Amino acid sequence: MPSNGMIVRVKGVHKFFTRGSEQVDVLNELNLDVPEGEFLALMGPSGSGKTTLLNLIAGLDRPSQGEVWVGGEQISKMSEAQLARWRTRHIGFIFQFYHLLSVMTAHENVELPLLLLPLSAAQRRRQVATALELVGLTNRSRHRPGQLSGGQQQRVGIARAIVTDPALIVADEPTGDLDAKSADEILDLLCELRETMNKTILLVTHDARAAQRAHRIQYLDKGRLVSSEVAMPSP
Amino acid sequence: MIKYILLIGKNLRRNVLRTTLTALGTMVLVFVVTLVWSVLYLLDGIIAEKSSNLKAIITERWQIPSQMPFAYASSLAEGAARNPGDVRPQDSMSWQFFGGALAPDKRSREDLVFALCMEPKKLATMMDDLEDLPAAQARELQANIRKMESNRQAILIGAEKLAQIHKHVGERIKLYSVNFRDIDLEFEIVGMLPPGRYNQTAIINRDYLNAALDNYPRTHAGKKHPMAAKSLNLVWIRVRDAEEYSRVADQIANAPLYGDPAVKCETASSGIAAFLESYRDLIWGMRWLLSPAILVTLSLVISNAISINVRERRLEMAVLKVLGFRPGQLLILVLGEALLIGVLAGVASAGATFFVVNEWLGGVTFPIAFIPVFFIPADALWWGLGIGTITSLAGSIMPAWSARTVKVSDVFSKVA
Repeated sequence: MPSNGMIVRVKGVHKFFTRGSEQVDVLNELNLDVPEGEFLALMGPSGSGKTTLLNLIAGLDRPSQGEVWVGGEQISKMSEAQLARWRTRHIGFIFQFYHLLSVMTAHENVELPLLLLPLSAAQRRRQVATALELVGLTNRSRHRPGQLSGGQQQRVGIARAIVTDPALIVADEPTGDLDAKSADEILDLLCELRETMNKTILLVTHDARAAQRAHRIQYLDKGRLVSSEVAMPSP
Repeated sequence: MIKYILLIGKNLRRNVLRTTLTALGTMVLVFVVTLVWSVLYLLDGIIAEKSSNLKAIITERWQIPSQMPFAYASSLAEGAARNPGDVRPQDSMSWQFFGGALAPDKRSREDLVFALCMEPKKLATMMDDLEDLPAAQARELQANIRKMESNRQAILIGAEKLAQIHKHVGERIKLYSVNFRDIDLEFEIVGMLPPGRYNQTAIINRDYLNAALDNYPRTHAGKKHPMAAKSLNLVWIRVRDAEEYSRVADQIANAPLYGDPAVKCETASSGIAAFLESYRDLIWGMRWLLSPAILVTLSLVISNAISINVRERRLEMAVLKVLGFRPGQLLILVLGEALLIGVLAGVASAGATFFVVNEWLGGVTFPIAFIPVFFIPADALWWGLGIGTITSLAGSIMPAWSARTVKVSDVFSKVA
């Protein structure tokens, strides 16, 4: 499928789970295009399918029907191992609860995805240093997660997401566990990444203020995209 | 690769107590398996038939313990060769067992000495494990043999036994016999036996015992000692190969000399195997019940620890998957953690067992088949590696598979 400037193309996706003999539809005939460099917010009530859609786009799950294309590759046909390899290079994932490995320092946490790439130790060190500098945590690189504030841990999470220089960053409620000030700082950082590095950002959020920082807001309800709103001018 | 190993190490450090307890459990069980296997290994080695330079053992045919007249000794030492063309053994040795107590009315372990009565020179040529001693020990043994040949009251005692009876080289002792009634003999301790297998044994010159038996009628109204015709317990011979053994065995079986009592000749290995028949159930249990049970227990200990570890870290496994770790890499990560514990603990335990038992304790006391102590063979170091590897792999394969199949969306839906 030609990308036509779209980094993400979701075509006729249907996703259901079975619970006993019952089929639970999570996404229904869903279509979505995301241009390169866009900051898109996905909003909707709990159970609307936001996170499932995000997981499909990030290659963490596969649709029951339909196609998911990212960066010109149909990821919905890839095996689990192929998806894992693909994710390392093409997706940066930011979690609500940071999910840093507690036994590792900030530097080691950021370095984790690089261990899967054919890089020398010196190259890894350089890339980690650059990522930590971008999030303003150079002086905290030897600290373990338990020694950092929530905002700082999320910055480490963002550094880990961008360290492999992926084109697409997906963030699932990245400010959901932070106070307002820290949340603003994280959103500022995501905007800066989009502006300076032309990253495409998909943000799942319940927070309307956070969504307002995106170019476009897509609303989901009962597994369907119900409306779209332009929050800020597109790039 | 190094980063991967460091990652495994860091994971093990997250719960130091659990890792330490698992490693200690592994070490204890590897220690027990190493001891059990050492005994089985030595017994297997002893009863394995050799194809050349083999030893044969001649005993009374129908009775255990074997009690033959000493008159049999010289002809049996020649393999009962009586015709031209008959095969003669390369070497031979006779054993008469003499047990004595340091005091007539004491029978405790600290007072009893068990001695083999034999020709002193055979110590260096026929006794197992004394044929290829290190140079210094061989020189000392030769010097002791000369002392025994020149002084038939000389006795050599193993270091452990000597310490047990609180005596020293140079002291004189009197042994009140427990199996040759009224034959009480005085000895001079002229040296110690080489350390190891004979730590609990003593050696005396057979001429001394036989002279005492010969003199017995002079002090007992001409009556022979009740054991006079039953003092020879074993005769060992060495033959070149299986064919020679077969011919010598035939010569002995067909010799008219050995009618009452009849004798039999069998290879040392089959002789010892026959002796071990009485221990058959014990050995079978050690080999097929105890060892497997310990190995299964060891796998379960590792499995339990790794399962808890994986269950606690399902979220982390999911995060690693999100970051791009493939299912196979997670499997290897978990297996690697178990392997690191198992292999390090296994090798450390086997190494420590080898050193402590052989160098420090002077062997494992397990008197069976004329072997008072067992030593840990050098192969035990490989056993530690093998046991650690196999049991840790067996124990961690299920939890590792569980880590491999962690479904990211399920884990995060539970977190949310």
